[in-house]
Amino acid sequence: MEYVSPFDEAVLEATPLAPRPESLAGRTVALLDITKNRGAPFLDRVEERLRARGAETFRISKETFSRPAAPEVIEEIALRGDLVVEGLAD
Amino acid sequence: MLAGGPTLLVFVHSDCPTSALALRHLAAAEGAPTRAVIVAEEPPEEAARLARRTGIRSAVLSQEPPYELSRAHAVEAVPTAVVVDGGGVATETVVGWDRAAYERLLGVSLPDRGPATKPGCGSRTVEPPAEGGLDELEDMFERGFTDGLPVIPPTRERVDAMLGGRDPARSLGPVPPSQGEATLGRVAACAVLAGCRPEYFPVVVASVEAALEPVFNAHGVAVTTQPAGVAVIVSGPARERLALNSGMGALGPGTRANMTIGRALRLVLTLTGGALPGRLDRSTLGSPLKLGLCIAEDEERSPWESFHVERGFDRDASTVTVLAADAPLSVSDHRSRTPEALARVLAHAAGAQWSPFWWPMDDYSLFVVCPEHAAMFASAGWSKARLREAIFESATRPAGELKRGEATPLVRSSADDAPIHKWTDPERILLLVAGGEAGRFSAVLGPCDGMGTRPITKEVRWST
Repeated sequence: MEYVSPFDEAVLEATPLAPRPESLAGRTVALLDITKNRGAPFLDRVEERLRARGAETFRISKETFSRPAAPEVIEEIALRGDLVVEGLAD
Repeated sequence: MLAGGPTLLVFVHSDCPTSALALRHLAAAEGAPTRAVIVAEEPPEEAARLARRTGIRSAVLSQEPPYELSRAHAVEAVPTAVVVDGGGVATETVVGWDRAAYERLLGVSLPDRGPATKPGCGSRTVEPPAEGGLDELEDMFERGFTDGLPVIPPTRERVDAMLGGRDPARSLGPVPPSQGEATLGRVAACAVLAGCRPEYFPVVVASVEAALEPVFNAHGVAVTTQPAGVAVIVSGPARERLALNSGMGALGPGTRANMTIGRALRLVLTLTGGALPGRLDRSTLGSPLKLGLCIAEDEERSPWESFHVERGFDRDASTVTVLAADAPLSVSDHRSRTPEALARVLAHAAGAQWSPFWWPMDDYSLFVVCPEHAAMFASAGWSKARLREAIFESATRPAGELKRGEATPLVRSSADDAPIHKWTDPERILLLVAGGEAGRFSAVLGPCDGMGTRPITKEVRWST
């Protein structure tokens, strides 16, 4: 029997994870604050730990946690960062 | 297709792990001296999905029953590789997975991943016919075409009837969070699944259009840990046209139009939009409202202007309003003898919603006022604006009483005797009359907080 699918097959496939780096030395890590409560102190600590392991870091924020990041934010992370850490919830 | 030298035809299907193993190797061999052409015993959509799943970028041929190409080459198992020369004659056949044989036939070395040989699976040509197999309704669960309840299978005929001549390819836009395109075909499929009759479809379409307005923030509402669902409020002549129940049991089960319209929108958000509970829908507890809810306004028993007129539409228009909200909280009041007292009871009930001490909220609460309560306000000559103001003013507490547990920055920074309202503005209070003639039970649907979501109203267009 043929059915009309409610799914959009084009977006169903999972995107594979990027390869994991073996070392953080010399890598640039984007620290994304989604502006949830206490995300900044969490990222402060993560930043401290990453720098101690030889990583470069930069901070970037979403305008609001409740919507997807603006294209400019995603672009900047992609251009400047090798990895990203997101402070997700409060 | 076969001009210009030998070609390797590789027969596969998507239920066969050995086929997937062969395809993943072939994905690494694109550009080999001998061209491989994949022939999937699958409909086109499934063939494309199999290719994406295994990394195949070249074209994949689809064949459907009775699988004439497979039968022409006597394929009984998959994968089967058949070397066909420039004249279309088969010169060699490899059944199952055999890396060395594939390397020889393709003229390349293949990555050394997984077993070097592996038996295949039965070809679709040797499978028994589907009749008598999986029950059609069980098949819907297998496909994930469900919210957990049984659905009506969206056959082509049923979806065409739902579309009523509308273009199935027309898109209402991408649905967050997965950004699946809400084509009218998919929206109609969801309406069929939900159990809608075709005459409900314009209301379903209007509800999807409303939910996809950026200010509704369907993304935030879909993925949040809070339990918010989406209520669909129908106002105007659509109520009678579709026999929506706005009377006894208006928020409960029993009427097809109410139950299925709300569910259809929910299925669009969940299936087309990918907001599957436990996956991208991260709601801690969820709520029965997430199955869908369609509320119709009882305009005849309402002493006030219609909900849609209040929202700026013509009296003769039918509108759909979507509201992100919590499940209804019932408020009993059989004792109040003045409108002031009754407004105070409603306000106190709503004051505890979201979190009892989280005041003020810049979000919407919907009060569904039962006819007996509405009559009390009407007999005192109260307008909607007067009731809204009374509820707003009654839900006021000194900041000192709110400085416990989850308190807002405003409360924490205010003097203890500073008055704080539950809402930032009386306009955050929505009022609607519905329910049975007897019984003094109103209800309030609490707010969805922090998403910046706003109720969105769209006019129902019956003919497009």
